[in-house]
Amino acid sequence: MISKIINMAERMKDEQDRLLESMFESAPIADNGFSDQIVRRVRRKLWLRRLTLPVAVVIGLLIAFRPMAALVTGVYELLLSMPGDLVPSLEGSLPSLQLIVTGALVLGVAMFSLSMLED
Amino acid sequence: MAWGEDHELVARAVSVQDTRAFGELIRRHQSHVRNFLRKLSGDTSAADDLAQDCFMRAWDKLHTYSGSGSFIGWLLKIAYTTFLQSKRKSKRYAEILEQVGHVSEAESRTYAVQADEVTDLDKFLAVLSEEERAIMVMSYACGLSHREISEATSMPVGSVKSVIFRGKEKIRTNFDIKDHQHG
Repeated sequence: MISKIINMAERMKDEQDRLLESMFESAPIADNGFSDQIVRRVRRKLWLRRLTLPVAVVIGLLIAFRPMAALVTGVYELLLSMPGDLVPSLEGSLPSLQLIVTGALVLGVAMFSLSMLED
Repeated sequence: MAWGEDHELVARAVSVQDTRAFGELIRRHQSHVRNFLRKLSGDTSAADDLAQDCFMRAWDKLHTYSGSGSFIGWLLKIAYTTFLQSKRKSKRYAEILEQVGHVSEAESRTYAVQADEVTDLDKFLAVLSEEERAIMVMSYACGLSHREISEATSMPVGSVKSVIFRGKEKIRTNFDIKDHQHG
């Protein structure tokens, strides 16, 4: 009830209100490509946001490739140097270094593709 | 394609990142937002740049729109904040320019309405403070209710009413409003 009274009071305009309304009144501004320009900016922003993570992953992989390869080689050599009775048939069960790196790259590409598909 | 109400478009834009729905929202409200900023700043091109920034911010904050108030009220709140922030930035820029001795350039940046473009409305707006101008434009140019203005400016409804009253009084004392012929 109170809010109705407030709204009614708000709608009761005096002469000056009406004059001010006519003074402030202006013709609608034509769009003239304004909205398209913003939509393009928004789309560009979306694409940049979507690309940020995959690009960061690829750069991270490139940077981490050498130290990771060295680490894998080190572990591989350590395992090979262990006595045969501790690690039976180790030679056949461990994948080669190339296979591990290829697997990591395939995983990276798959993650990238999945994130693109989700978008 | 037939688009629905504003809140439906907002829901579409937020849930599936639909830029076409957001484009429709811009088409519907760009005139009000640009008009508001033009009247507030007195500079057409600067106002349009601000309007672009405002809509970019609106896209980022779209998920915060609750749908309880009108969408134009929510947009004008962002537009007003964008205007105030840009004003603060240009003030700081002018201070730096002054510090390094570029007084004339600093002064030229605060100049808004061109002398040959001054309208009666510009004269009316010139006597108002920034806050009064924003609220008067929201009320008389954009047709927002006191409650919507209160939400847009984060001011109590009572304060909005008194600012409008004060603004009207200023215009009344500075101009013989009854003798004014519109057109």
